[in-house]
Amino acid sequence: MLGTMAFGVIAFILTAYVLLDGYDLGIAAIAPLIARGDRERAAAMAAIGPFWNGNEVWLIAGGGALFALFPAVYASSFSGFYLPFMVVLWMLMFRGIALELRDRLDSHLWRQFWDAAFWLSSLLLVVLFGVALGNLVRGLPLDARGYFTGTFAFLLNPYALFVAVFAVAALALHGAAFARLRIEGAPAERALALAGRLWWLVLALYVGTSAATIAVRGTPPAVWLYVVPAMSLASLIALRVALVRRRNGVAFTASSLFLASLLLETAGTLYPYLLPAYPPGHGGVSIADASPSPLALTVGLSVSIGGIVAVLIYASAVWRILAAKISVE
Amino acid sequence: MLDAVPADRLQFAFTIMFHYLFPIGTMGLAPYVAAYTWKAAHTRDPDAALAARFWTKIFAINFAAGVVTGIPMEFQFGTNWAEFSRHAGAVVGQPLAMEGFFAFFLESVFLGILLYRRRAQPTALVAWSAVLVCLGAWLSGFFIVSTNSWMQHPVGYSVASNGIVRLESIGALFLSSWTWWQFAHVLTGALLAGSMIVAGCGAYYLLAGREAALGRRFVRAGTIASFTFAALAAFPTGDGNAKDVTTYQPVKLAAMEGLFETTGSAPLAIIGMPDPVGQTLIDPVYVPSFLSFLAYGNFTANVNGLREYPHDQWPPIELTYYAYHVMVGLGTIFFGVTGIALVALVLGRLERARWILWPLMLLMPFPYIANEAGWTVSEVGRQPWIVYGVMRTAQGASPTVNSGEAVFTIIGFAGMYFLLGVLFLILVLREIGLGPSHAEDA
Repeated sequence: MLGTMAFGVIAFILTAYVLLDGYDLGIAAIAPLIARGDRERAAAMAAIGPFWNGNEVWLIAGGGALFALFPAVYASSFSGFYLPFMVVLWMLMFRGIALELRDRLDSHLWRQFWDAAFWLSSLLLVVLFGVALGNLVRGLPLDARGYFTGTFAFLLNPYALFVAVFAVAALALHGAAFARLRIEGAPAERALALAGRLWWLVLALYVGTSAATIAVRGTPPAVWLYVVPAMSLASLIALRVALVRRRNGVAFTASSLFLASLLLETAGTLYPYLLPAYPPGHGGVSIADASPSPLALTVGLSVSIGGIVAVLIYASAVWRILAAKISVE
Repeated sequence: MLDAVPADRLQFAFTIMFHYLFPIGTMGLAPYVAAYTWKAAHTRDPDAALAARFWTKIFAINFAAGVVTGIPMEFQFGTNWAEFSRHAGAVVGQPLAMEGFFAFFLESVFLGILLYRRRAQPTALVAWSAVLVCLGAWLSGFFIVSTNSWMQHPVGYSVASNGIVRLESIGALFLSSWTWWQFAHVLTGALLAGSMIVAGCGAYYLLAGREAALGRRFVRAGTIASFTFAALAAFPTGDGNAKDVTTYQPVKLAAMEGLFETTGSAPLAIIGMPDPVGQTLIDPVYVPSFLSFLAYGNFTANVNGLREYPHDQWPPIELTYYAYHVMVGLGTIFFGVTGIALVALVLGRLERARWILWPLMLLMPFPYIANEAGWTVSEVGRQPWIVYGVMRTAQGASPTVNSGEAVFTIIGFAGMYFLLGVLFLILVLREIGLGPSHAEDA
């Protein structure tokens, strides 16, 4: 019971991370397409300026919560994915440096360099997160203590790469929806046109990924086969309608719901395993295997749930204060 | 060729020491940002508004570098110290999770207001945000110190038959005397560094003959605070830490002092070079009986030497010894110089006394060295344990990470941090060069 709650809390934190950092990664990925010239690029950066740091804290808090709630999974997953995970850390650092330093010197070349660094590191991060998610769903070769025994090359399988492509498209669409909330003028119009085209790509990749997942993992129970996918499709359709009617708030909400439904589907597919073994159906590290004592779970859960509630209250107040649109005119 | 465990240790030492340069700045400068912003918001003092803007900019660069270098720290326990994490995560994961939820969110969310709602005249909302950012920075320090203090002096736990550490009481961890003395000492060290930066910047402006009004303010506030924190660093916070070390880690105490032979009325070595092979302190200069007094409050007490303990429980002697002496030596210099500056201030001569403004300016980097040296005593002196008396460092490393991988990532971090360090220095020195009165550029 406590273990299942802890599983839910970790899934919630990671979902919050994908929804929030997802839009700033997404804006980064599409920045060269929607923002032309120095002023527009500056606006794209300023759109996420006050928020990206807090968004990234969800990842760090997720790391801390995983450490406290499932120490065995924290240990085996990060040491098992040593090299790819180090690349993730370096890209997170490089991206943070780019965001913070871009506007600190009044030089055209300085800003162009950091714009490119920001785009490349963000895109690579989304690809790596997609590969990680794909491998988590597909399963991992694990030893008796739950340590990953595969290689880097094992992680770069066609299914995981396909999920990575889907992740790039879905977060680019999410970023375009966020751009419409925060920026006025030409970049917002380009973001709308881009979102219209990306929508079809995301739909196609969603159908493709779903089929590939069934091929990799077998047919799931009805709720994961029909109910949650129906939610995903409904939010995707709502997103289309909102884009056509230029309802920016509804579009961003629909895009968020779409991503949340995908992560719910992922969590439901994995449960009760935190790290499923490869090939699927051969166990893995389950909630019961990885849970510490009830006291440790209770403390970790109280901290996480209390922390999440407090953060949602004050962060949403602050988001409202900082919500003014950025104009490039 | 490096074995995996030394490579893991080298990487952790390098990344944590580089990272810690920035929390020193954020914990130490946050109260100045908060105080100047508060004053500017509530008194309409135009100089306070300039000072608030200036220190907020310096703080923001520090904060960004701290976040960027802090991200790997949250995950390196898992990447390189998986066995430690698997065994002790149920305890050490708790304060780390609390740091994320209760400190990092507070800092990053309210820093958004501080940076993006900043006007020429700060509002009460901005002033409150500055206070909350300061609180977040200090809380973050508290949770990290709690984590470390459990590794130094584990409490509130039991060990199951399979070696897994079970959490028995989270309260014991937070109420441990080690946690509070260490946190008080760490925070004092950071505040000393922040205050000496403020005083040093002021001294630079007065020496350079510019920013006269703010230069005076910075020198005055910084001098009074530096002297106060230099005193508090020694007593009671440093003393409280040392008493805990004496009680719970007597081997570390012996290594800090290069004391090989158990001695009654043990003298305090001011200088000298420990020789672990010959097991003596070469060319020492002693203060008679003073080590016994510092450790036990009694000039004749016996202090145990290293030979009382098995060789495989000794920490690296030279590093522990020199780091301790560098910290104490620098602390004494800070106390002396800021004390003289304080006398000049009281006599009303500080602003024209170039002979004392020069050392105040030149001392700016040294509190960083003192803070890093203090942590070196704490961490190197804890060896060979990762959790004191419970788990050895060599048992804590990741079984799936070999030295080749660790060496590769050390090189990667070195490149990344070299770039970051150069950029940080350029940007901070540029802000100081432009000065607080420089017109807003963006």
